[in-house]
Amino acid sequence: MTAIHRIKPSLSASTEIFQPALAVFALTAACLAPLQPLAAPRLPTDPAEVLERLPMRPGDATARELAGLRAAVIRAAKEAPADPLPATRLAGRYYELAIARGDPRYIGYADAVMAPFAKSRSPEVLAIRGQLRQARHDFDGALADFAGALEVDPQFASAHAWRGAIYLVQANYAAARQECDALLKLDRATLYGGCIGLVFAYSGQMEAGSAALQRALDETRDPGNRLWLLTRLGEVAAWRGQLDEAEKHYRAALALGLDDGYLLAAWSDFLLDQQRPAEVVKWLAGWETSDGLLLRLALAETALKQPAAKTHVQALADRFAAAKVRGDTTHRAEEARYLLHLAGDPAAALTVAVANYQVQREPRDARVLLEASIATKDAGAAQPARDWLRSSGFEDAYLRRLGSASAQ
Amino acid sequence: MMRRRTFLHLLLLLCAWTTLPAMAHKASDSYLVLQVNGREVAGQWDVALRDIDFAIGLDANGDGDITWGEVKARNADIAAWALGRLKLERGGDCSLRATELLVDDHTDGAYAVLRLAGTCPSDAPMLALSYRLLFDIDQLHRGLLRLAVDGVSHTSVLGPDSGVLNVKAGETSRRAQFGQYLVEGVFHIWIGFDHVLFLLSLLLPAVLVHESRRWTGVRSFRTALTEVLWVVTAFTVAHSITLSIAALQIVELPSRLVESAIAASVALAAANNLWPVVERRRWLVAFGFGLIHGFGFASVLTELGLPKDALVLSLLGFNVGVEVGQLVIVACFLPAAYLLRNTPLYRKGVFVGGSILTLLVALVWLAERVFNLRLIGA
Repeated sequence: MTAIHRIKPSLSASTEIFQPALAVFALTAACLAPLQPLAAPRLPTDPAEVLERLPMRPGDATARELAGLRAAVIRAAKEAPADPLPATRLAGRYYELAIARGDPRYIGYADAVMAPFAKSRSPEVLAIRGQLRQARHDFDGALADFAGALEVDPQFASAHAWRGAIYLVQANYAAARQECDALLKLDRATLYGGCIGLVFAYSGQMEAGSAALQRALDETRDPGNRLWLLTRLGEVAAWRGQLDEAEKHYRAALALGLDDGYLLAAWSDFLLDQQRPAEVVKWLAGWETSDGLLLRLALAETALKQPAAKTHVQALADRFAAAKVRGDTTHRAEEARYLLHLAGDPAAALTVAVANYQVQREPRDARVLLEASIATKDAGAAQPARDWLRSSGFEDAYLRRLGSASAQ
Repeated sequence: MMRRRTFLHLLLLLCAWTTLPAMAHKASDSYLVLQVNGREVAGQWDVALRDIDFAIGLDANGDGDITWGEVKARNADIAAWALGRLKLERGGDCSLRATELLVDDHTDGAYAVLRLAGTCPSDAPMLALSYRLLFDIDQLHRGLLRLAVDGVSHTSVLGPDSGVLNVKAGETSRRAQFGQYLVEGVFHIWIGFDHVLFLLSLLLPAVLVHESRRWTGVRSFRTALTEVLWVVTAFTVAHSITLSIAALQIVELPSRLVESAIAASVALAAANNLWPVVERRRWLVAFGFGLIHGFGFASVLTELGLPKDALVLSLLGFNVGVEVGQLVIVACFLPAAYLLRNTPLYRKGVFVGGSILTLLVALVWLAERVFNLRLIGA
């Protein structure tokens, strides 16, 4: 049902008188809005008008690589339909693109490529399916897939690595530790170092965690790995209150010159916590397309009272509304922060933060839950986060203060 | 290949995903709006150009840009590709064709807009829709459907496991339809400032009596209530009559004329409070001008579209909605006005001040609406 479009002559006097009615109407319109096209459809007149820029040109190296992988899948479908390897290669490449470019369409492409092998028990198929499932936050399904891969091939180290990483997100440190130990038994020292370092850091032994991550850093020359380790070292240092140390790690990671959304998000959160929003605006210029970074940018601009804040807050609102319409819940951690700090709706923020914490239990998930519970004075809602603080012994002083404040 | 990847790299990917859903664009959605009235189908389908490119290729010159020329050249292919993945059944397969190709922008880029038209074999109560656009190449794709069957709306998110929708245009939906029009009626009276102001202008003096050129409060609530009931009933009866004959297209009036007359009625009703001409039988005024307001309500109903097979029901629903909206206004107004009737705040501020304000607002409306009329005439 469309909203009423009849145009009324509007006068400020009359709008004030009927503000309640207007509010109800605006609310209804807002509920219907996500289903409405943004603007009126139009008929372009200039054939040369560029309507859309594709993410890649057919001649680009990535595009050519994908074309080759796709051709192999089509060939295999004809010649050896039971062979899943060409499909897993293409799906794996799509997965990497989804992460690198922050574009979920590639996850959908990968799912479709793997669809014909839904019943396969090959470790490679199970592993890629597990990755795609965790990308959609189906963590239990992903754990089962990786477990299935390990049943067939007990030496499959990356399956252990993935299971460890998922258990970390779920705050199940005992289970994560078992996966780390399995990596040690398989004699994968570097994998073990990264795995155990985070288990330590998340469960109350930050110094040991820091040391393990540092050892792993000393062992690797791969820039991607170094970037990730430096980022995590920066986070651990910030949790420990070692701000100079944290900044040193972050800057070393940034100096590698690789585009990395996770690093920029962690660095921005660090700067926002240090009341340095102007630097966030500088670093995040041009990253508006990423929801997570747009959130940090809008937070910084709001703190600086910059005019761009309004547009960016609106853009976030539109994106969360669009996600809601299609039933997408993978953005809940960001959405809770948006609702709490930008939309000024702590009650809604708490609902979303509680739902998010049932799925993801990393320190930042606990933090937004605690903040929302303090803002709404609903101590009970943050009980799971306080339980986690107590049982894990997580050592971040700020989070511990939030924990006590939320209990009152 | 998988095993050569390091844990750190994998973990990086995982963290990048889980903590930074960082989606540059959202996942793929199409927006499908369909209206099925009896056998007739009309609609609009917005599909992202990027998705069409991935499915059938649009970038003819391979420069990474999709131009209007490249889209237009593939008009027939786009329509055939999309419509081949959408099936609508009502008493058998409905024929669907794309009548027009337009473009539009959504939060994640440019979309092709297909205007659709078609015919179904019958107007049977059962209607089935089967959607499978893009699922073969993108399992995260969703079709966001808004389907109106004989005026009753259904919304649905269509996915690979939920691409089929069965709708029964039956009893329950009739009830829903009645409710929907009822809500529209309530909203319309609330946001229709001119109707509300007209009603209030007639209600303001209901708690007062004009004696020897002075206004004093009525003695009993009953007196005020009787007056209000007469006014509201007369307004209701009158606008129901004209709303019905206009909605059934028995009489049609130019909307500018109607809108201007409505503005004039508000001005006259407010002026009558300041310089009383009609004092006793205000219900006659309510009835007379109510006839004009009914034509105003009808224009809204025309825009909403009345389903042909449930015309009377929807009309009734809308009418009842307008009444409910009116009663809420009266229920808020009357007790407060009655309690305050002997205070200067009411008599000077609300009654005189409110009438002056209403008069001014109505005169501006009148000027605007008449001005528009001249603009159009010129």
